[in-house]
Amino acid sequence: MPATSLPTIASDLTALFEKAGALRVDTPVIQPAAPFLDITGEDLRRRIFLTESETGESLCLRPEFTIPVCLRHIETATGTPQRYAYLGQVFRQRREGGNEFYQAGIEDLGDKDLASADARAVYDAVSCIKLALPGAPFTVMLGDQAVFEAVVKALGLPDGWQKRLVQAFGNTAKLKRLLEELAAPRHVSPLSSEIEAMLAEGDLDGIAAQIAETMEATGYLTNASRTPKEIAARLAEKRRLANATLDPKALAALEEFLALEVPFAEAPAALSGFADAAGLKLEKAISRFDARAAAIANAGVSLERITYRAAFGRPLDYYTGLVFELISPSGAVLVGGGRYDRMLTLLGAKDHIPAVGFSLWLDRIEAQQGAVL
Amino acid sequence: MTITIALPSKGRMKDDASAIFERAGMKIESVGNDRSYRGRVDGWDDVEIAFLSASEISREVGSGLVDFGVTGEDLMREEWAEVDSRVAFEARLGFGRADVIVAVPEIWMDVDTMADLGDVAADFRAQHGRRLEIATKYWRLTQQHFSSLHGIQLYRIVESLGATEGAPAAGQADIIVDITSTGSTLRANHLKVLDDGVILKSEACLVRARKPEHEGNATVQKIIEAVRRVL
Repeated sequence: MPATSLPTIASDLTALFEKAGALRVDTPVIQPAAPFLDITGEDLRRRIFLTESETGESLCLRPEFTIPVCLRHIETATGTPQRYAYLGQVFRQRREGGNEFYQAGIEDLGDKDLASADARAVYDAVSCIKLALPGAPFTVMLGDQAVFEAVVKALGLPDGWQKRLVQAFGNTAKLKRLLEELAAPRHVSPLSSEIEAMLAEGDLDGIAAQIAETMEATGYLTNASRTPKEIAARLAEKRRLANATLDPKALAALEEFLALEVPFAEAPAALSGFADAAGLKLEKAISRFDARAAAIANAGVSLERITYRAAFGRPLDYYTGLVFELISPSGAVLVGGGRYDRMLTLLGAKDHIPAVGFSLWLDRIEAQQGAVL
Repeated sequence: MTITIALPSKGRMKDDASAIFERAGMKIESVGNDRSYRGRVDGWDDVEIAFLSASEISREVGSGLVDFGVTGEDLMREEWAEVDSRVAFEARLGFGRADVIVAVPEIWMDVDTMADLGDVAADFRAQHGRRLEIATKYWRLTQQHFSSLHGIQLYRIVESLGATEGAPAAGQADIIVDITSTGSTLRANHLKVLDDGVILKSEACLVRARKPEHEGNATVQKIIEAVRRVL
């Protein structure tokens, strides 16, 4: 049986969090399941421990801390920037390792100075690992969702294609499929001649009216799910997207970008070199990248450990910028972190609340401690 | 060692399964009266029959409580993760055919493929303040098809234990994952199957629990061969 006792490093980490000025929070172990499934997707369902309350509410054992911490922030402190720290057990069905293990981390919510908040997250994460594994070699992999979005935008693809590519960022197989599709126009199956005629004239209202009529005749509510207008609009968009292709030069540029992997200190130069060579306007995204890089260096993180990989991202719609991982020599991810500016809005916050944070996999860190000692 | 075969306890599935075993030279007789849930096979003293519901059969054969079961492939794959390491599908029996499919309202004229659905799902939250909802009783098969195969993460499953095809029109869900054999219920509810929306072509199978004691067991071999011979 794997140990379920508090990791020996816990009190040192708690002290570090306190020194970093983060407010320590505890959240209930039993949580409503809906926010986790809503935000992370149904795939999580088979990896969490689900149960039901007597009244039929779907509940789960806390699978992570970020969502409960964000929900608490929305309820109690919206409008005030606040850094939170947590340390406690999380519960997941895993093929390897135990089903209950410890995580700790910091969530930095509401700070509008993105570069310095990003840098602080990287700095604190590195400090935690240095504290837990003194002298141990580890590397940092860093990516930036916003740079990818800027590249896709600068290539001049229609909105819908931009969305598809951005959605797939971090999912190598899916991204590859999409790029193959983009190399040639797609086949579309024709609709009735009446609809085709309205499409040709751009008469979306006409199409929507006909859709509404059919829905009413077949007993479908026009407001419960996708509306007639929405269907008509996407139909027109789909036709536009089917005709959109990337010329070989642009496609080559995109592929070249995704293959970028350089030491972090060289990343700003590599990115502007790429933008110049490809003739793409990326100034805004690159200047943000540079500002963050400078902030990370100023925070005192040694840049030699960090590699920038352009294709590194997570295919979840709430990530917006920085993503990073601290990795052991054996390839184990010890810390995962990133910026998730869209999450608090998804969770119901009325205002836009920027957010960045990281999570320590304490069980993997303890395993490394064993290997080091 | 007695070998237990679990068979469907009622309906077409029971009749079709009994017919195949009878052709295979294994005439099944109920113990006691016709309504009994135990049976035996004439001339096969080391075989006993348990009559169970189809979903019970997939549970029992998957957990190894019975040696063989006749049940739908869909139920087996839905009930168990990594089902092929637990059981062997020894024979496909040619009845109980049904496809597990993804169907959307016919009027979604912009949606023909899973890729279209991926686009719709990605935008759904922004348009409706909630995720795309799928009514189904097949949550495992749905996840495998949407998440693993097509990289679609952003949807919610609404569990539906009956009349799933009616859920979209009734506003209980946006789309469905369900079984269909002829497609007539789908048509009646104005739903269409996506071009790449067939998740599984299912039919009744002779399923064997993978157990070490089956190794070299003559009766186990005889049962498999007898059934395969008449297909």
